[in-house]
Amino acid sequence: MNAVTMRAVRKRFGQVEAVRGIDLDVPAGSLTGFIGPNGAGKSTSIRMIMSIIHPDEGSVQVLGSDAITAKDRIGYLPEERGLYRRMKVGDFLSYMATLKGVPSQGMHRRIAGWLERVQLQDVAKKRCQELSKGQQQKIQFIASVIHEPELLILDEPFSGLDPVNARLLNRMIRDIHATGRTIIFSTHVMHQAEQLCDRIVLINKGQKILDATMPEIHARFDPRTVEVQPVDADPRCVDALRAIPGVDSAQWVPERRAAELHVARGADPQDVMRAAMAAAPVRSVELRRTTLDDVFVELVGEALPPSEESGNG
Amino acid sequence: MADARSEHAARKVASIAFREFKHTALTKGFIFGALIVPVMMFAAIAAIGALIGSTMAPVSGTLAVLDGSGRVAAFATAELAPEATAREIAEALERNATIMPGGAGTQAMAQAATDAARVDVRVEPVTDPAQEAALRTRVQDGSLLGLAIVTPDVLKADPRDAEGHDATFTLIVPSKSPPRLTRLLEKSVARAIVKARVEAAGSDYTSLNALLSVPETAVRRLATDGKEASESVAAKTLLPVGFMMLLWISTFTSGQYLLTSTIEEKSSKVMEVILSAVSPLQLLVGKILGYALVSAVMLVMYGGMGLAALSAAAMSDLVSPWMLVLMGVYFLMAFAFVSTMMASVGSAVNDLREAQSLVTPAMLILMIPLILWLPISEQPNGMLATIMSFVPPAIPFVMMLRVTASSEPIAPWQVLASIVWGFGWVAVFVWAGAKIFRVGVLMQGKPPTPKELLKWIRMA
Repeated sequence: MNAVTMRAVRKRFGQVEAVRGIDLDVPAGSLTGFIGPNGAGKSTSIRMIMSIIHPDEGSVQVLGSDAITAKDRIGYLPEERGLYRRMKVGDFLSYMATLKGVPSQGMHRRIAGWLERVQLQDVAKKRCQELSKGQQQKIQFIASVIHEPELLILDEPFSGLDPVNARLLNRMIRDIHATGRTIIFSTHVMHQAEQLCDRIVLINKGQKILDATMPEIHARFDPRTVEVQPVDADPRCVDALRAIPGVDSAQWVPERRAAELHVARGADPQDVMRAAMAAAPVRSVELRRTTLDDVFVELVGEALPPSEESGNG
Repeated sequence: MADARSEHAARKVASIAFREFKHTALTKGFIFGALIVPVMMFAAIAAIGALIGSTMAPVSGTLAVLDGSGRVAAFATAELAPEATAREIAEALERNATIMPGGAGTQAMAQAATDAARVDVRVEPVTDPAQEAALRTRVQDGSLLGLAIVTPDVLKADPRDAEGHDATFTLIVPSKSPPRLTRLLEKSVARAIVKARVEAAGSDYTSLNALLSVPETAVRRLATDGKEASESVAAKTLLPVGFMMLLWISTFTSGQYLLTSTIEEKSSKVMEVILSAVSPLQLLVGKILGYALVSAVMLVMYGGMGLAALSAAAMSDLVSPWMLVLMGVYFLMAFAFVSTMMASVGSAVNDLREAQSLVTPAMLILMIPLILWLPISEQPNGMLATIMSFVPPAIPFVMMLRVTASSEPIAPWQVLASIVWGFGWVAVFVWAGAKIFRVGVLMQGKPPTPKELLKWIRMA
C-alpha cells in the first residue's frame, strides 16, 4: 500500500511550470528522500501532497483518501517555518495540536513528554521569541509530530541545527520511522539523505528523474571513482595518474592525501586500478562505493546545460 | 461522517478565532490602548467639564469706579450684589438648557450659580480724576480687586464717535486676577453703564430690558406625514456622526489588527505551518471571526459609553431601539467589508508599508462618509445621500448617518434595499478576498499590483 500516490501531476505558476507530470508512489512505512537542486519542484510537490496548493492537472492521493481529508494524519515541517513569536511555547504547541485534532484531554502531558524528549522541559512557559534558533527548530519539529501523524513530511529539517541537535533530530526521525510511520524527507544535502533514507526520489526541473531504493541505486550506478593514496603523499602524482587510459579526470584531495580518478564510461575500473598501481608507489587503491552525491551529479549534471555544469564542477 | 468532518472543521475555525481574540483583546496593549485610554479620555473630558463649572474661590474685596458723573457706581453695586450674580448665571443656565436639556453640564452650571452667590464685591465710587494714579497703585499692590475708569463719552446717549466707533471704558485689574472674576467685573460695570445711560435718557431700564429681550425659540419639525417633533440642533448634528464614528473606530481598529497579524504570520513564516493544519478558507474565517469579537467588544464598550453620556445629558430618547438594531446590522456589514479587505491585503504583502498602497484606494471610498457627513445628515433623503447609500463599501457608514440623522424616517424599502444590496456586495468581497488570501498567503517577494490581484482572483 502507498502512503502517497501522485499521477500525472502538473503545477504551473504563471509562465513557470514547476511540476511537469510527476508520477510517484511512496510506499507506506518507507523513509523516502526527496532530493534535487534548488527550484527543482520538491517543495511544490510537497505542498500539493499537503493540499496547501492544488495541482492544475493530475491527482494526488494521501493515506488512501484525498489530501484535504488526510490533513490531520500528516505532520509537516516546512522549509520556511516560523512560530508565533509572542506566544508561549506550551500555548503554541497546544494550539497546533488542537488544529490537528488532538483532544484537549491529556494535552498538557503530551506536550511535556515531547519537550522532555527534545531536552527542553523547562521552556513551556517561555515565549517563543525567548528561545534560541536551535530551540525554536525543535519546537517546530514537535509541532509537526505532536499529533502522531501516519505520514511525516520534513522539508530540510536539519538546516541551521548544530551537530549535537542534528544528531538528536536524526535519532528521533529514526525512532518515529521505527514505529512504522511513513516519512518523506526533503533535502539537498546528499549524505543526510543517504544516511537516513531507504528510498530516493530525485526531482529536477519539475520532473522525476530517479525513484529507487538505496540498494537499487547502488546496483544501478556502477562505482566509477578510484581513490589512490601514494606512499609519499605527493600531489604531483596526479599528472601521471591522469594519463592512465580510461581516466577522464583526476584531482588531488588534500584532506585524504589521495588522488581521486574518475573512470570514463566504457572503461573498466579494474584496468584503471591496475594501471594506477603500476604508475606510482601506492599505499592503497580503492574503488569507491557510489555515493548519492555521485548519482546526483551524474543525473542532474547531465540535465544541466554545459555552462552550468562546468560552473558546478 | 460528513457531520463529524464539518464539526471538526468548525472546531478548527473556533480555535483560530479564539487564538486571534485572546492574543489581541486579552493583552496589556489592547486593554490599555483600546479600553483604558478612551475611558481615561472620557473621564478627563467629564472632569474638565466639572472643573469649568465648579467652585470659584470665594471673592471678597473692593472695585473702584472712577466716574465723574458719580452715577455708575450705584448701578455697579446693584449688579455685583450676590443675588444679582447668581441670577446672571441662572439665566445663562437657562439659555444653555435649550441646547443641552438637563444633564451634567446643567448641574455644573447650577454649582457655578451657587459659587457666584459667594462673591462679595464692594464698590467704591470715586469722582475725582486726580485720584487715578493712587487708585492704580492700590490695584497694583492688590488692595483693590479692580479699577473701572468711565469717561463721560461712554455715558452719552449715543456713545459713538464721529467715525462710528463705540466709546470704551477701561477696567484695570491686578495681574493675578482670576479670569472669571475679571469677566464678572467687566460685565457688571458694562451693564451698570447701560443702566446709567438709560436713566439719563429718562427711561426705565427694567421695562426697556423686558421689551428688548429676545424670546426663546421652540423649534418643531413637522414631518411630511403630519407628525410633529421637537428639534434639538446640536444633538441632531452630532448624533449621526457619533454613530458613524463608532462604526469606524470599532471596525477599523480591529481591521488594522487583522492586517498586522496576517502580515506577521507571513513574515514570521508561521503561515505555512498553520496551512498544514487548516485550509486557507478556514484560516480566513477563523481570523475574521476572532477579530469580529474584538470589534464587537469595542463597539459595545464605546457604544455603551456613548449611551451613558447621552443618558447623563437626559438625551437617551434620541436613540431609538430601531437605531440600535440597524447599528448591529450595519456593523456586521461594515466589519465584513473592512476585515475582508484587510485580510486579503495582509495576505498579499510582506510589510505594512506595502499594505498602504493597496489599502489606500478602498480607504478613499470609505473616507467619503467622513467627508460628507454634514450634507448627508442635513439632507438624509437627498440625492447625494441616497446614491452614496448604494456605493460599496461605504454603504453601512452612509446608512448609519442617514438612519440616525432624520426625524423623518428613511423609506423602509431603502433601508431594506441597502441591507440586501450591501450583503450582496459583502458576498462578492468575501469571495474575492478568499481567493486573494488563498494565493497571497503563500506568495513571497514583490507585492502584487491591482492588476495582479485581479489575476489571482481569476486563477485561484
